[in-house]
Amino acid sequence: MSVMGATFVRNWRITLRAYPWTYFVGTLATGVLTIGVSMLAYRAIGGGRVGASFTAATGSADYLGYVTIGAAALTFATRMVLWVAKAQITEYREGTLESQLLTPARRLPYLLGVTAQALSTTAVEITVLVAVASALGVRLSVPDPLTLLAATVAATVAVVGMSVPLSALMLAAGEAHITQNTLFTAMALLCGFTFPTSYLPQAARWLGEALPVTWALRVLRAATLPGADVDPWPAFAVCLVLGGVYLLLGLSILKPAERRALHRSARA
Amino acid sequence: MSTGIVTTDLRKTFPVRRWQGWRRRPVAAPVAAVDGLSLRIPPGQVTGLLGLNGAGKTTTIRILSTLLRPTGGTVRVDGLDVVEHAREVRRRINVISGGERMVYDRLTARENLWYFGQLYDVPRARLRVRIGELLDLVGLTDAAQVPVERYSRGMRQRLVIARGLINDPAYLLLDEPTLGLDAPIAHQLRALIAQLAADGVGVLLTSHYLAEVEQLCRHVYLIARGSLVAQGSPAQLAGQTVRRHTVRLVLTVADPAVTVALRTLAARHDAELTVDVDDEGRPRFALRHPEDLVGAVVTAVVQQGGTIAGLTVTPPTLEDAILTLADPAVVAR
Repeated sequence: MSVMGATFVRNWRITLRAYPWTYFVGTLATGVLTIGVSMLAYRAIGGGRVGASFTAATGSADYLGYVTIGAAALTFATRMVLWVAKAQITEYREGTLESQLLTPARRLPYLLGVTAQALSTTAVEITVLVAVASALGVRLSVPDPLTLLAATVAATVAVVGMSVPLSALMLAAGEAHITQNTLFTAMALLCGFTFPTSYLPQAARWLGEALPVTWALRVLRAATLPGADVDPWPAFAVCLVLGGVYLLLGLSILKPAERRALHRSARA
Repeated sequence: MSTGIVTTDLRKTFPVRRWQGWRRRPVAAPVAAVDGLSLRIPPGQVTGLLGLNGAGKTTTIRILSTLLRPTGGTVRVDGLDVVEHAREVRRRINVISGGERMVYDRLTARENLWYFGQLYDVPRARLRVRIGELLDLVGLTDAAQVPVERYSRGMRQRLVIARGLINDPAYLLLDEPTLGLDAPIAHQLRALIAQLAADGVGVLLTSHYLAEVEQLCRHVYLIARGSLVAQGSPAQLAGQTVRRHTVRLVLTVADPAVTVALRTLAARHDAELTVDVDDEGRPRFALRHPEDLVGAVVTAVVQQGGTIAGLTVTPPTLEDAILTLADPAVVAR
């Protein structure tokens, strides 16, 4: 079995032993809360209608569908980042980074193994989230399968691409919370999860455009939003290129970050 | 191609930086953890690396195992440079550290060994056999399916040892490997180390248990402040020390005449004499000198009418060598 496969199996074993099933309640809470609050605002304040500017910006008047897909995508992005970006700093904290770095295994297959396990876990969480949204009365249109597949690939490339440099930053800095929460805040504000990015100031929009998740979300919107007659493939291509650039950048700084972490523990 | 691990003028410094405003700036000269170290760890024998705490032993092992990059000098493993050919070097070596985690708590022993076997690309059929052998070797077969988080410290350390052998390393770097082990398991591990060396594995051993070093090592490097201060067999090193034989003498009762006689004897031979009392309040003398002065000591006591309650003679030990040679004042000289 490859390093990727072995890491996939290892992480599933650890997950099943480390986390009770009730842990999933916590991971779903943010998504469910986002949908619930949006639903209340939509019905109680908006009277069940959206403004013309929203329809113009998104190409659809289905606000609840928009928010549900956004909340699912935000859950996907944050959960994946938590798994992939924190993989190595978790090894560092638990004292297993050195035994891992002693082996001839390469980093990319290891990170892909973590990604595969994270994808399988997150897929279950997203399915449950969408089921909860349906139970709350949200009606989603049937997505185009090919575009949905492209959106899943794009989202995975985007999130993994961003996670690798983040992993290096966490290792180099020796901390995870400030780094990850800064990214989560930036993603939630800039990428268009719960509102169109056209509502943002110009400078913030440019920042959002530099994040591959923004482009992955556009592909996802094209697949799932009724009436949004958007060509997903340019966004798909941009997402792959941006995600690839982030990934290469991350891999190039990962080894120096590992050395920095080892230096820190050697001097401790 | 030369075999063995060979370091030449190895150096490792750590910068000393502090936050000043928005940047971390150097505030002092870099600290040298390893300073011009040249040593050789040949295959098929156990080589010792000794020194006081902070001497640079662990840093040296981390460099040899590719975890840290040297600041200067070279390290070659069977002719392969550890920086340029790190991945190939990692296939040939492994490290066992006492007191370090190095294994996954949530996995069982078998799962840990399976995972590390995958990281070392051990073929599937070989890995299955190897895991069974190693579990048996470290006495964890019965606990193979129990998550490591339920292990005692000794059991965990035994798993760390098995992990270090999973890739059949040609060179094994042991950093305090028996730390925290019960005496029978430590004894087993020493037998295993000797067997590995007999089978052709090159072993580097650091340990605070000097009896372990004396028993296992054919050649010992003694370092202080990252530099080599002495090398040789354990017996040769012990022989290099100034303090050699120690005669310890306990009298039944205090006798000023005997004390004077022993002080005179020590002064005549330029020996080091310490006088105190034992747990029962009896006068106790320790005389250290390159020559064995036991005959002269006994004669002096008997001539003064003293009665000897206890007498021991300690030959030069490796501990003496370390304390003497690795003493900063001696190093500075």
